[in-house]
Amino acid sequence: MTISRRVFVKSGGLALFSFGLDPLFLARAAFAVRPSARPPDRRILVCLFQRGAVDGLNMIVPHGDPIYYRERPRIAVPEKDVLDLDGYFGLHPRLAVLKPLWDSKTLAAVHAIGSPDATRSHFDAQDYLESGTPGMKATPDGWLNRYCQHDREHQDTPFRAVAFGPQLPRILAGTAPSLAIDDLQAFGLRAPQPAARDRLTRAFEELYAGSATGLLSTSSREAFAAVQMLKRLDPGQYRPANGADYPGGRLGKALLEIAQLIKADVGLHVAFADVTGWDTHVHQGATEGQLAGRLGELGQALAAFTRDLGDGMRDIVVFTMSEFGRTVRENGSSGTDHGHATAMLVLGGPVQGGRVLGKWPGLDPAQRFEGRDVAVTTDFRDLFAELLARHLGATDLSAIFPGYTPDPRFPGAISA
Amino acid sequence: MPGTALSPQDSAFHALNRLAYGPRPGDVLRVAAGGVLRWIDRQLSPDGINDDRLAQQERQFAILAYDRGDLAAMYTEVRRERRERKRAAGETAEGSDSVGAQHAAPLPKQTPLPTPADPMIPKSRRLAGEFADLAVVRAALAERQLYEVMVDFWTNHFNVYFAKGADRFLTPDYIEHTIRPRAMGKFEDLLIATAKSPAMLFYLDNWESVAPGASPQSPLSARRRGGQGVRRMPKGINENYARELLELHTLGVDGGYTQHDVIDVARIFTGWSIGRPQQGGDFEFHGWAHDRGEKQVLSVRFEGGRDMDEGIRLLKLLANHPATMHHVSRKLCQRFVNDDPPDGCVDDAVATWQRSSGDIREVLRAIFHGPDFWAVQNVRAKVKTPLEFVVSAARAVAAEPDTSPRLAQVVARLGEPLYLHVAPDGYPEREAAWVNSGALLDRMNAAVALAAGKLPGVTVVLDSIVSAGDADQLISVVNEKILGGTMSENTKQVLRRQLAGISDPMQARALAVGLTIGGPEFQRQ
Repeated sequence: MTISRRVFVKSGGLALFSFGLDPLFLARAAFAVRPSARPPDRRILVCLFQRGAVDGLNMIVPHGDPIYYRERPRIAVPEKDVLDLDGYFGLHPRLAVLKPLWDSKTLAAVHAIGSPDATRSHFDAQDYLESGTPGMKATPDGWLNRYCQHDREHQDTPFRAVAFGPQLPRILAGTAPSLAIDDLQAFGLRAPQPAARDRLTRAFEELYAGSATGLLSTSSREAFAAVQMLKRLDPGQYRPANGADYPGGRLGKALLEIAQLIKADVGLHVAFADVTGWDTHVHQGATEGQLAGRLGELGQALAAFTRDLGDGMRDIVVFTMSEFGRTVRENGSSGTDHGHATAMLVLGGPVQGGRVLGKWPGLDPAQRFEGRDVAVTTDFRDLFAELLARHLGATDLSAIFPGYTPDPRFPGAISA
Repeated sequence: MPGTALSPQDSAFHALNRLAYGPRPGDVLRVAAGGVLRWIDRQLSPDGINDDRLAQQERQFAILAYDRGDLAAMYTEVRRERRERKRAAGETAEGSDSVGAQHAAPLPKQTPLPTPADPMIPKSRRLAGEFADLAVVRAALAERQLYEVMVDFWTNHFNVYFAKGADRFLTPDYIEHTIRPRAMGKFEDLLIATAKSPAMLFYLDNWESVAPGASPQSPLSARRRGGQGVRRMPKGINENYARELLELHTLGVDGGYTQHDVIDVARIFTGWSIGRPQQGGDFEFHGWAHDRGEKQVLSVRFEGGRDMDEGIRLLKLLANHPATMHHVSRKLCQRFVNDDPPDGCVDDAVATWQRSSGDIREVLRAIFHGPDFWAVQNVRAKVKTPLEFVVSAARAVAAEPDTSPRLAQVVARLGEPLYLHVAPDGYPEREAAWVNSGALLDRMNAAVALAAGKLPGVTVVLDSIVSAGDADQLISVVNEKILGGTMSENTKQVLRRQLAGISDPMQARALAVGLTIGGPEFQRQ
């Protein structure tokens, strides 16, 4: 079923109902109204954080460069296994499920992208990637939250910005309301039986509706509205469309729940999920192996999401990001160490795909950063700014990325 | 209180909410009867308060028996074992300083957690969890309540991040030996101690900050600085500590310093380093790394040719700078009076700071004796942080926390994993940071679980605080014991309705307590 979030927002003012009326009844009546027209602002951005620093060179492989093979005798993806994209770059074979998206020009890659800060610490680099202010540690909020703070175009619903995980990540930390959902089914009051849960929910709702003031009042209203919406959604009963087959594991579950919320039309605007397991210092593998396994899961999850959403992908952009890339040369343990630039994927209807974007600096030692890593030629803020400006319609980029003026041409991932 | 509109009982409840982590059963009446100002004065002299019971409890925390060298050795051992295991299994080795899962541990639902003695949990990880729980236990059980509140305040003011590399084993030492002994002393001493602490030097990278072009006489010793071999040599100054020192620790973001000041502060601290951080080493000044040129900070000239002494001189200058007095006083007023503190209490605090050369106890005394602290509009004006909520809830029902990390995991689940605030600004004091829909639902769930005796990490026996009777009696007792008599009419009516259908007195009591602690009044202080 479809719930209009505009109607929902109007019904959110439970505290307006005077004592004696049953606010829940009125709220339910409001939910039952079917919207006559869909709201126009349905664009959605999904951010996947490859936490741990993905090896961009084995994800989007520069198979046309002999240096790649020379530097990685044990872990290079053999030429015969690479899925060629443009004669120079190719996809890792375990991302083959994404090749149709590339061919339909809804998948792009940005290579040699990263932070202007030289740090090779996961801690610092993740912090900068999420705060959006490389080199500045005291920034209190994350850039996705700052986007929400300055966005006046989209409805402020409980599900506007959601991180799928146990805690709110730094990227969504800040004054704009955002939600961390570890498990859609468990969101809300917990009780052994549904009847007890409903009773407890109602009791707390009445307590807060009558006695809460200030932010406690507005936030609790949002909370109970969200719980109500989820109850109607019945997350346990969700069946993906078009035979989409999400892989087991956290990423598959997160993307499935994101798809579910998108289809429920509850006002999801920005979604976030972590994907871990990229810190491949030891036995990274090539066509098969450790990294291949992680890429396989990523590809399968993205393919399932795209299939599940179907035409809905028209309004959706999914992108991957990672704190830095890995060394060009393999290390003594058949792995790679912390590097500098990496590659990011951008997919969805609004994407100008079928291209590897960014200026390729080359793999020659003289062209590398500090002689060892892929140099950064695209500041990650250029891509993020493009996603916010061209996809979501953000206008004030200087408030979101303070002290930085993005390249006005952007990397070119989204149709202008 | 002179000029206050609060009754003695309301005053006691207010003071116990702000200077302490909320009242235990009976505290409000006890403090009101003995005189709230006398209680405040006693709290301002923690050394005179007997805290044997807490000391006894602390002895159960194994982590206090290890120094940072022991912890470093343990940590290195665990990492070596893990590397070998991974190598054998051909799996990913997560980075040494990647954000670990320990702080993201969800509130246990159905699946039982491993017991604390589970041999599958590496010792170092267990100790990390234990250390977070120690903070919760101290906050809950200490008689020196104001002292524990101030430890939390300074821990956030001088924030470090447990999960950043060597801070995994440097942080406990930092809290025990840098913060705690100076929490009620002179600000200047605390500032100097944090500047020299290995945990802070590592966290804000100052240990790697060297004069441009400087290199140690023996390259071998430099390579050993990282313990297992550093990947790259530091190549110049690192401004991180300098910037946060000015912006967060002392002057404040509007404190009137320039980028040039930041650079010269960084130059002054070149060479302030750590001897073998990976082995839990101590502060070390490296003369070879120190920039001996002339510097100028806040228009004060630091002549060339000096060593470590110019850093101490700078810290003293900063500690007693008017902008620092204002910035830190304002933060204290924000903590104790209002998220947006009135100018009056800040001015009083600054004047006292000036008079007492930054004696923290005297500054606090001025705040607690000022009219703003007792003004009606500032009473219940603040929302509890997750730590304050969990600890005050445990205290309200006289709960006994155990030594497992579970109660700290509840605090983490509610959004405040202790020692794991990644940015140097520490956990925020303003309510906007804590109140959101997901967090409120989590608080309600934690409250219901606590009242039902199902919150992990604490033992609750409600008999000790509430005697079950009829619904009105029950509501009245809960109101007195948990809300200090401040329960709203609406809350009473909702409770009455909810209790109407329940015949089992135990169930009724648990519901009333759960709804009260999870309800809106208890979120405030």
